Amino acid sequence: MKKGRFRLTKIFSIYLPLIIFLLFLLFPFYWTFVTSIKPERELYNSTITYWPNNISFESYKRLFTSFNFLKPMTNSLLVATSTTIISLTVSLLAAYAFSRYKFKGKKYLMGIFLTNNMFPRVLLLIPLYAIMRNIGILYTPFALMLSYTTFTIPFSIWLLSGYLRDLPISLEEAAMIDGATRAQAFVKIVLPVLAPCIVATGAYVFMTSWNEYVFAVMFTNEASRTIPVALKNLIGQLGVEWGMLTAGGIITIIPVCIMFFFAQKRLTEGLTAGAVKG
Amino acid sequence: MQRKKIDLSPYLLISPALIIFLAVVFLPALNAILMSFQSYDLRRPSKIGFIGLDNYIAIFNDPLFWQSLWKTFLWVIFGVGFQFILGFVLALILNKKFFGRGAVRSVSLIPWVTPGVLIGLMWRWIYDGNYGVLNDIFLKFGIIQEKIPFLAQQTTAFPSVVVTIIWQGIPFFALMILAGLQGIPTELYDAADVDGANGFQKLFRITIPMLKNTIYVSTLLRIIWVANSVDVIFNMTAGGPAYSTQTLSVYVFNKGNALNLGYASTMSIMLTLILLAVAILYLKNIFSSEEE
Amino acid sequence: MKKITLIFCVVFAVTLFMSSTGFSQNEPVTITHWYWADNPEYSATMQEIVKEFNATNDKNITVVAEEYPWDGGAYSETLFRVVMGGGGPDTSSFKLTSTPLFTANNLLANLDSFIENWEDKDEIEESLYDTMRLASGTDNIYLMPWNTQVLYVYYRPSMFDETGVSVPQTYSEFLEACEKLTRDTDGDGSIDVYGFGMRGSTGGHEPWGSFIWARGGNFSDFTTEEVVAGMQDFIDLFENGHAPPTATMDGFQEIIANFKSGKTAMTIHHIGSSPGMIETFGDDVNAFPFPKGVDQWTSMGDTENVMLESCGNKDAAFEWLAYLATGKGQEKWCTVTGNVPVSKTVQQLPVFQNNRFMKVSIEAAPSAGIFPVLDSTTEWISTIWPNTIAAALLGKTTASEAMQQLQKGLYVE
Repeated sequence: MKKGRFRLTKIFSIYLPLIIFLLFLLFPFYWTFVTSIKPERELYNSTITYWPNNISFESYKRLFTSFNFLKPMTNSLLVATSTTIISLTVSLLAAYAFSRYKFKGKKYLMGIFLTNNMFPRVLLLIPLYAIMRNIGILYTPFALMLSYTTFTIPFSIWLLSGYLRDLPISLEEAAMIDGATRAQAFVKIVLPVLAPCIVATGAYVFMTSWNEYVFAVMFTNEASRTIPVALKNLIGQLGVEWGMLTAGGIITIIPVCIMFFFAQKRLTEGLTAGAVKG
Repeated sequence: MQRKKIDLSPYLLISPALIIFLAVVFLPALNAILMSFQSYDLRRPSKIGFIGLDNYIAIFNDPLFWQSLWKTFLWVIFGVGFQFILGFVLALILNKKFFGRGAVRSVSLIPWVTPGVLIGLMWRWIYDGNYGVLNDIFLKFGIIQEKIPFLAQQTTAFPSVVVTIIWQGIPFFALMILAGLQGIPTELYDAADVDGANGFQKLFRITIPMLKNTIYVSTLLRIIWVANSVDVIFNMTAGGPAYSTQTLSVYVFNKGNALNLGYASTMSIMLTLILLAVAILYLKNIFSSEEE
Repeated sequence: MKKITLIFCVVFAVTLFMSSTGFSQNEPVTITHWYWADNPEYSATMQEIVKEFNATNDKNITVVAEEYPWDGGAYSETLFRVVMGGGGPDTSSFKLTSTPLFTANNLLANLDSFIENWEDKDEIEESLYDTMRLASGTDNIYLMPWNTQVLYVYYRPSMFDETGVSVPQTYSEFLEACEKLTRDTDGDGSIDVYGFGMRGSTGGHEPWGSFIWARGGNFSDFTTEEVVAGMQDFIDLFENGHAPPTATMDGFQEIIANFKSGKTAMTIHHIGSSPGMIETFGDDVNAFPFPKGVDQWTSMGDTENVMLESCGNKDAAFEWLAYLATGKGQEKWCTVTGNVPVSKTVQQLPVFQNNRFMKVSIEAAPSAGIFPVLDSTTEWISTIWPNTIAAALLGKTTASEAMQQLQKGLYVE
């Protein structure tokens, strides 16, 4: 009896809203997929088919044979991963300082970091290009890493310091009273508890650099090109290559989802792991 | 003992971030501020020169500027507002235990993972007045009798792009809040259960207060991000029809692409100032809690 | 062992001979070329042309062609920013409308002396050179013609037969045809076929221009009665439902899709879309030049190639540009893309002579022209025109108010 009621509330509190959410979030993705396997003729039909009458995986094949999509994928992966690692390391240090120390100029420094994200990139393009060229990293992955980190670091600092502020400070204090240094307390106590937040912030940084177009089109050439630029090449004056474009979209989404599937385990392990050690 | 000397360690910890920031964007940003006081139109390089506040005066007299500012306001209020509410609800659900949670969590991120180039195009395709699937669904359910050209009318274009940005931003909030939820000690909920608190009481008495900073920071960052976002609108409508979806950042982007950098800079400085005002309200809250 | 020595000697001797007779006298030169591709086939064609040029040119030139996104025309801005930042390619594909921006900043190399000494100079019609001069606003040529497209009206002969419409000879017949072709074919009370596939989004100014001229207007002053009358015709087509209700946001993609799916009976575009049309309809598609009213005008689309001023080896770069304009590169590119060649010899090839759309293009060519190329033109095309026209179509402003805005937007003091 009690179990039955429990199940019913679970349906109404979890499964039903979840289904609505997933319908909204995933339908465009489904539609992208359907488009990628529809022949072009079926796309512009007056009766809309929710599952293609003729399925064709031709676009996927062409994407990797004639279009060489693997190259931009590896480039994007390289840029996004390195940007994530650099940003997280640098921002963790700064966020720790901002949330655990009191010092002069703190508000202003945080403010400066914030304004950085307010400024439209379209105005920075020419000077940034000149800088990249002068230090000789243009058309290498470093150009993108450097420009992305300037935008992701301030964001990450803010996010991480927000999380740090919400974390009870008592855990570290207890460790420091027990004789641990600040660094030890940070690594042993704070870091494990912060793991979910680091994963979340890392995901943000990764997505930002994975999807960026405006800088990428200027700072890369054929060899260092990333996914968004490669995809944009499929939209010409004479229309959109629907098949390959949507296939490309699907192909880029899948590995990131798989990566996150493994990373998200951290999202629940954080506190339990920390609490046991504490 | 307390104030023996200045502790340098916070400065050291911040320095790598500051160096990257100063080395790359500081000078270009400063340059952009200078451009706002100049007639800086690269289409007319011979006329580049300081003109004082002329750009600012021109902006105040530009009806499109005010219209775009209003659109930006609506864009942020509705965009971020719904992203936050829906993202929060999703995070609460994803935090519960149920079958297939890991998979659901990662597929919920899909809108965020989708390349921006594709988002605008796909949604445009969904909204299409002739072959769009949304019209088809609405017709099938009898919600509408005639196909609606969603992006081609002034009345429907703006709500349509707002729905897209909501869609895109839900995963961000869901993830950020989900991460924050992990930091709340479960003992608090256990204690509340003993006291017989119901779900809503727990939400407003424990969850939200405990996430205060996370909520503050993530909404603030999202407001800034959404106010500045260009790609969704640009790929869907480019600001049209009849400027009905042109937010200030799209206007800046259009002017920037037209290479009238002086005018574009002036507008973006106005936008930055407005965002800064919003940020200061937020910051007061954050820093005031720290003084305790 | 002896054999190897022998081979070695022969190779050595040949090398010596070749270098002494000047075969590889030219220092190896690398030219970086930027282009955009409208579809993957074009992209592959460009790479083939480059390969062929590299293999066949006798001056030791290696062209490296890099593809950049067209990005709805932002290609030009990307190129501009990169060159302003001190980098960029040696040569690039180019659009006429961007000329003032580049020349005002002295970024393009003057081609006058190169063209003067060029043996194939007369392969290209003098009027095309004049257009290039006009675009720069000087007596100098900065752009090397590459290919052109003339806009004309595509129509569906079967739909004309069903409604008893014959190919319009005058502007008023054209407007009548738009009305007659708008039909409810299945009798469910809603319109299924629209007479005219109107382009209200970016790029729509080109077909729109024909309406303006047909009423006797022109682009030097948008506020005249004639221009307003042309605009009113345009609005009426939309308001009376002879064009799809999505027209305010319809761009290239949409007008072509609507035509191909049978949603519209006529639409305006150039030969570039004809291969796709033939694939869809076979013989049930044809074209006619936009008919004459008081006056006749159609838009000449264009693609050129330019040499950047920063190019280190201009002679080699010109070899490449010439190859694209009149050499094998011209023939190959135009054959694949179906664009109108600029080289007279290539125009005479049977592939071009036997194509019905090419015939219409050539028929329409005398009335083809361009919009004024001013430094404000690109912004006018990409934002001012579509938004102003949309406001007028949606009844937010009147035709004459809209024309005043267009005037102000293009002719900035």
